[in-house]
Amino acid sequence: MRGFFRSRDEGLDLERELRASRPQPRDEFVQMLEDRVHETPRRATRGGFRIAFVGAITACMLFALAAVGGLGQAASAVGDVAVTAQRIVNTQGPTIVKKSSAASQYGKPATKKKIKKKVKAKKKVKAKKQVRRAGRPRFTG
Amino acid sequence: MARDPLADPGPLIRRVYAYVAYRVGEGAEAEDLTSETFERALRYRDSYDPRRGEPVAWLIGIARRCIEGGRLRPEPVATAGETADPLDVEGSTIERLTLAQAVERLDERDRELIALRYGSDLSARQIAEVLELRTNAVEVALHRALARLRKLLEGDEAAQADTRLRERPSTL
Repeated sequence: MRGFFRSRDEGLDLERELRASRPQPRDEFVQMLEDRVHETPRRATRGGFRIAFVGAITACMLFALAAVGGLGQAASAVGDVAVTAQRIVNTQGPTIVKKSSAASQYGKPATKKKIKKKVKAKKKVKAKKQVRRAGRPRFTG
Repeated sequence: MARDPLADPGPLIRRVYAYVAYRVGEGAEAEDLTSETFERALRYRDSYDPRRGEPVAWLIGIARRCIEGGRLRPEPVATAGETADPLDVEGSTIERLTLAQAVERLDERDRELIALRYGSDLSARQIAEVLELRTNAVEVALHRALARLRKLLEGDEAAQADTRLRERPSTL
């Protein structure tokens, strides 16, 4: 226990001694270096000025663009690009609306076969009518 | 305008010099490195970010880089008159080691820790930021560095006592 305290005290002594015997520069050297630091002016930071300058230039450019309709043109160009991109991406064909008012009005479109049958049936009916009207079959030579 | 890190340079110069002197030894080299540190600090004054640490920690970071840069440069070739006499070297080892000399005998890592803590008077947290370590790791490393320094000093005292006994003329 005693040894522990002794070594701690010794440690503190050594620390104290290290601080006390810290190397000290010559006063002339310190003075010379201090003068050197003071005579070198600190450059004024122009951060604020730079930001304001860049902002003003940007505003001027935007104003000039707006004056000649550049903004509208840019907007439409962006819109065109969007549409083109949509066309490229969208591979589906035209959308067919099945349940619309037109579809309910006109119904399903007739297929070719049915049309032919209907035409044949109409011809038969016409021929029968003509036979009935003439009372006898038409002279065919 | 951002805070000027070199607003009060006096105490900063003393702390940086103490750090550099603990690392490379007192004298002209320490002064040169301190001057170089402040020259760089003046050049990059505007890049100082107070959110990243105190001005002293920023300066110590620059000083560390200056020391490392100095080490990379080739050593000047010593002239015949400048070369150390081996007898003088032997004599100096027999001489009593001062605390600064004992610090110089420590390895690079320990010397850096001692320099940061007792030279530039940084806290363990600030040292941890400079060395990119954890505060706890810095505290442990510092404790070990002090123990090694104490051992060096004690060893030297024992060697001195031994030398004194050998030098004492025999009474018999």
